[in-house]
Amino acid sequence: MRKDKMVIIIIVGIVAAVLSGTMFMQFRAVEWTEETQIEGMREAELRTTIAEYKEKYEELETKLLDNNKKIDEYNQKLESNQESAELVEKELEQTNLLVGKTKVKGEGVIVTLKDVDENRITPDILVELINELRYAGAEAISINNKRIINMTDIAEVTAGYLVINSGDQSRITSPYEVKAIGKEEYLASNLSLKNVGFIDKYNSSGYDIQLTKDNNITIEPYEGNINIKYMEEAE
Amino acid sequence: MKKKKIAITLGIMCLMLTLAIAVQIRSVKGGTQVAVQSKTENDLKDEVFRWKEKYDTTHKLVEESEKELEKVRSEATKNSENDSNAEKQVKENNMLLGLTNVKGSGVVITIKDNSNTKASSVLDPSLLLVHDGDLRSIVNELKNAGAEAIEINGQRIVQTTAIVCDGNVVRINGEKLGSPFVIKAIGLPERLYNVNRVGGYLEMLEDDGVSTEIKKSNDITISKYNGVITNEYMETVR
Repeated sequence: MRKDKMVIIIIVGIVAAVLSGTMFMQFRAVEWTEETQIEGMREAELRTTIAEYKEKYEELETKLLDNNKKIDEYNQKLESNQESAELVEKELEQTNLLVGKTKVKGEGVIVTLKDVDENRITPDILVELINELRYAGAEAISINNKRIINMTDIAEVTAGYLVINSGDQSRITSPYEVKAIGKEEYLASNLSLKNVGFIDKYNSSGYDIQLTKDNNITIEPYEGNINIKYMEEAE
Repeated sequence: MKKKKIAITLGIMCLMLTLAIAVQIRSVKGGTQVAVQSKTENDLKDEVFRWKEKYDTTHKLVEESEKELEKVRSEATKNSENDSNAEKQVKENNMLLGLTNVKGSGVVITIKDNSNTKASSVLDPSLLLVHDGDLRSIVNELKNAGAEAIEINGQRIVQTTAIVCDGNVVRINGEKLGSPFVIKAIGLPERLYNVNRVGGYLEMLEDDGVSTEIKKSNDITISKYNGVITNEYMETVR
């Protein structure tokens, strides 16, 4: 009887040892699995990086072709001793358009913001809105028909009165109408993200912000001169 | 009777262990899939390098073509007053757009996440960090003080620039940047220095525990925007 018991105990012991050993090996494999899963997460990042480089590369490629075309055109004029008025005027028009010196039209969105009692629209809110619009690819923006250019700032003069472009002393007040030209779909969907989007975020804390899509928006040019006083070209 | 009890116990034990092993094996099967993925990951890394190289090469070519274009443009326009005026304006526009390297007097602001204070010792540890909104506010104040060119950690602020939060970092022009943030601005140094005024944004940050520093300088160089500014959706109304 005693011997029998011993044998059983030994067999049970061996079986348990083998099974535990197998499990241990498996556990190690599982730990390794989790490690590679973290790498798997990095794969998504790699894909985003590739997409970003690809996009930037394509942009540059277009720019390069464009530059080379212009160089050829200027060279032709030079060789044939012709005036290059047409060429330089074309370049001037294009850069004026980008800077914001011309009246422009296109598809986009109109955002209307109103002061509600304590919830006044501050410069920071408008700066954030402009940033969101630029993030979504806005090409031209205006607030109450004042064009937003690269040097534009927004400041509060007294409560409820803002100044856009500090050189310009005319004040604006609620309601603020922000127009943006760009891909309507991107602009609208970025602003309308649930909870975290600009509109939801502010409206849920008592602000009054409305979005309208419009496929034919007109934006006025920048008023006044843009003077360069302090910067000069560097190598 | 006793033997039966032992047999049942053994049976249950074996069943449980086998089950456990079965579960483990299934999750390891998932693992081999991941192993295959990590091979694609290496391919992806290669691809990232390939695109980066293509981008870098083209970037260099664009730089060269821009210099060449400026040269032929000024050459071709030098004989007519109208044309050379237009040429000058094109150059100015490119400066305003942030497409040229520029230099001048101005200020350099450095702001850094607070690393001396323990996060657990303050009510809101998020106040110790520099956020995207802080950078936007400083840029707005600098523009208010008449800044003509601004860059943050090498990224030129242009009219298509977005400053957004991306987890632990800030993205400017799509590039990931982290603290410390060095903000350079060209303009009248005395006016720009006003960002440091009592009640100004820098003081507010300092009160929150973020370390800030501002210096005037007569010799600031700001590099141009690396991307392209285009108009796909807007056109001039004639």
